[in-house]
Amino acid sequence: MSELQRSAPFVQPSEKRLPNGLRLLIDEATLAARVREIAAQINTDYADKDLLLVGILRGGFVFLADLIRHLTVACTLDFMCVTSYEPGARSSNRSPRILLDLREDILGKHVLLVEDIVDSGYTFDHLLQLLRTREPASLKVCALLSKPARREVPVPIDYLGFEIPDLFVCGYGIDADERYRNLPYVAAL
Amino acid sequence: MPLTETLAQQGYELVLDRVLIDAPTLQARVAELGAQISADYAGKTPLLVCILRGGVMFLSDLSRALTIPHHLDFMAVSSYGVGARLTRGSPRITLDLNTDVRGRHVLIVEDIVDSGHTLDHVLRLLQAREPASLRVCTLLDKPSRREVYVPIAYRGFEIPDEFVFGYGLDLDEYFRNLPFIGVVKKEYQ
Repeated sequence: MSELQRSAPFVQPSEKRLPNGLRLLIDEATLAARVREIAAQINTDYADKDLLLVGILRGGFVFLADLIRHLTVACTLDFMCVTSYEPGARSSNRSPRILLDLREDILGKHVLLVEDIVDSGYTFDHLLQLLRTREPASLKVCALLSKPARREVPVPIDYLGFEIPDLFVCGYGIDADERYRNLPYVAAL
Repeated sequence: MPLTETLAQQGYELVLDRVLIDAPTLQARVAELGAQISADYAGKTPLLVCILRGGVMFLSDLSRALTIPHHLDFMAVSSYGVGARLTRGSPRITLDLNTDVRGRHVLIVEDIVDSGHTLDHVLRLLQAREPASLRVCTLLDKPSRREVYVPIAYRGFEIPDEFVFGYGLDLDEYFRNLPFIGVVKKEYQ
């Protein structure tokens, strides 16, 4: 377990509801401070390395966009789009389909996957297995949120923002049926 | 000369001729665009379509500047091969929309409009799917480079024909993460 994962705070939603009916989970300032901490750690860990950041669409882009603003290491950017694991699906249907693959070969590269939330772990586990076959120099995971209570497959998260309870969350790029994605904070429904 | 890994690791200062648009100016303009779009689409739920990969920084800020409900989707278009700097030929859609745009108010979000060829193709493709409306929002516009007319409803900045990078725009894939727009030194163009 990495230092950042060990130190990831567990956050609970507020009792009081916001005017829009949501319960605040992580406010804008706390998010920004944590994103800066994670970026600082990445800057240290990847100093003098060539870093390829891979954003997992569609949810992770706000986190990614804010994270990279604080990076000072040389980095390039790519995206993957995969169908996510459906909680109702049975075991035969647990492999995510790749809708958009990486543009370039990652052989010998230092790859960091950036995702908004790690839930059951199935999607990530499959992605990691797939990308490992392409023999990157290193392959790590950075996630803003993790729901440990939902985990069915262990996923090593090297850089983690916050641990959260098993609640439907939205905001900061995460949608609830395409709503609330643009909120500057993370809230629980 | 193309930017190598070794050069990129020396930092953006090496290749920066001058800052064209600084971070506060960018953020202020994105806020203005967000207010204008929110007013124009009041009562509607537009679908923002981001063209990967350059538009992600802009989209993440623009989305948060909107006060109206809106949906987001992504398209990836590959037109000129990895590393090429010319924008010619018919683009291939490598990631199509997840959303049916028929009857929707679609707003395409771009980082820069240059020759206009890619955008022209995307506009014609989406128009054929019969959206209720179809408009373009671009952060940067280089009108002096235009080869095909494209209608631009929202424009962040009109810029001269200079090689720019940062805030989503790359220099040989590097420096998309800079929070400002800079001009590349002649020797690295």
